[in-house]
Amino acid sequence: MLRKRERSFFLLILPAVLIYMIFYLYPVISTFVHSFTDWSLLQKNIHFIGLDNYKALFHDDVVLTGIKNSILYAIIMTIVQNALAVPLAVALDRNLRTKNWLRMIFFAPAVLSPLVVGFLWSYIMSSLDYGPLNQILTHLGLGSVNWLGSAKLALYSVILTQVWQWTGWAMVIYLANLQGISKELFEAAHMDGANGWKTFWKITLPLLVPSITINTVLSMIGGLKVFDIIFSMTNGGPGHATESIVTVLLQRAFTDSQLGYASALGVLFSSFVMIVTVLQLRLMKRWEVS
Amino acid sequence: MQATTTKEKRPYVLEFCLIVIAILVALPIYYLLVTTLKTPEEAAASPLGLPHQWILSNYVDAWKLMHYPRVFMNNFIITFFSLIGCTILPCMASYGFARSRNWLSKLLFLAIIAGLVVPFQIALIPLYKLIMSMHLMNTLWAVVIINVSVTIPFNVFLFINFVKSLPLEVEESASIDGSGVVGTFFRIVLPLMQPVIASAAILNSLTFWNDFMGPLLFLQTREKAVILQEVYRNIGQFSTNWTAFFPMMVLGVAPLLLFYIIMQKYIISGIAAGSVKG
Repeated sequence: MLRKRERSFFLLILPAVLIYMIFYLYPVISTFVHSFTDWSLLQKNIHFIGLDNYKALFHDDVVLTGIKNSILYAIIMTIVQNALAVPLAVALDRNLRTKNWLRMIFFAPAVLSPLVVGFLWSYIMSSLDYGPLNQILTHLGLGSVNWLGSAKLALYSVILTQVWQWTGWAMVIYLANLQGISKELFEAAHMDGANGWKTFWKITLPLLVPSITINTVLSMIGGLKVFDIIFSMTNGGPGHATESIVTVLLQRAFTDSQLGYASALGVLFSSFVMIVTVLQLRLMKRWEVS
Repeated sequence: MQATTTKEKRPYVLEFCLIVIAILVALPIYYLLVTTLKTPEEAAASPLGLPHQWILSNYVDAWKLMHYPRVFMNNFIITFFSLIGCTILPCMASYGFARSRNWLSKLLFLAIIAGLVVPFQIALIPLYKLIMSMHLMNTLWAVVIINVSVTIPFNVFLFINFVKSLPLEVEESASIDGSGVVGTFFRIVLPLMQPVIASAAILNSLTFWNDFMGPLLFLQTREKAVILQEVYRNIGQFSTNWTAFFPMMVLGVAPLLLFYIIMQKYIISGIAAGSVKG
């Protein structure tokens, strides 16, 4: 009887496990194995070359730029996005007449495709005379800015568009968290004479820690994986100034056909994402406890 | 004596500030929409002004050039079947994982959960070869099956927490009535999972519909292309008549934007629920 039950459970598990193993686990393991080879579409035979690919990665300027950019992008995006989303959510949690409208507008950019958002903002930030952002800045007497053409500024311009796109998403998660907090807590704090500022730091923020964990982990991982928006806004340029890990990985693999080399980059990239995720969850756990 | 639960006063100044911010947030979307109706000269002269006359011919051209009905159908088929797969398979699996006491299923569960921290992009190169050797290249099924496999870890994780919170009594009474495990799952557990399925489906459908990398790598002919690929194909083709590209972008985001406007309450609460539990 028990064995029959176990067999049925196994039957339910099997389809998902099979698909996952064939189309996820196997390719991941295969990438790992191939990262130690000179696998390339340009030659027939594959040779085991040890750690050569990994060593070469650290002498590849484009790869290093990609890594640096992805990290910078992820960290800045996470900080700015959450620093904006928390106050927005706290404000929207108040007794507002237009609450639902505001929430709808703030979240709206998140349903747009990042690819289209990239195209749209490259028009908005255009340095040609039709670029609306520079037109407005010029009208205000601030002068125009070379948003995407400057190697120094381009990455930050991309980050700006992503803050615009994803802050509403984070806000919605904070809002759901806030609505789960009993209003009596705030009233009690108010009775005790705590002002709004103090209440925010002593009560609201500590109670928001679960959603802060979720949001920061999600945007760190999302940031490290960034692809679509860079592909459509700058395509890695000017020069290689805005290249990300994934844009370089795809180039090395599918344009240059250096599959073994790209695999090594993939392995490095995943270990990185894993470490960041685990560290972050640990750190947040500690904060949650204290 | 004052009532203890004084109704909160409406914070008018705060609300005014928020409305101003909301207008700023909405401006790029307004610019996207309004530019579709303008000539390049008009758009350059006053980017944010209303169009003098409403020229809809840009939309007609974009619709034809993108083969909109075809790409829309491709997008729809991919999203629809991906959603079915990424819902039903993880549902079944999470029930099995939650109730099984077997060591093998525990091990398999760990293998799947490990997928949560391994970014999918690392799998792309062997996946490309695999899809090729299975003769799935340039078929919608390639993208569907990849979508499903990518979402399995997260959905299993989301669903299993829900299943574990369900009371066992209902299932036990069903098994006394002679219902087997599979029958109990489909007749009793699956219907109870509706809320969590709904939030996963919302979360996943946004991802599937807006996915660009999958189609870019696995769908190569125009017959199989999705909406975003047609948008991508046409960027830069209109260097002089650049406003003609804007209707394409609008057609690219319109389906989800409309869906969002109609279903916003459910989408927002679904995303909040899905993320908080995940």
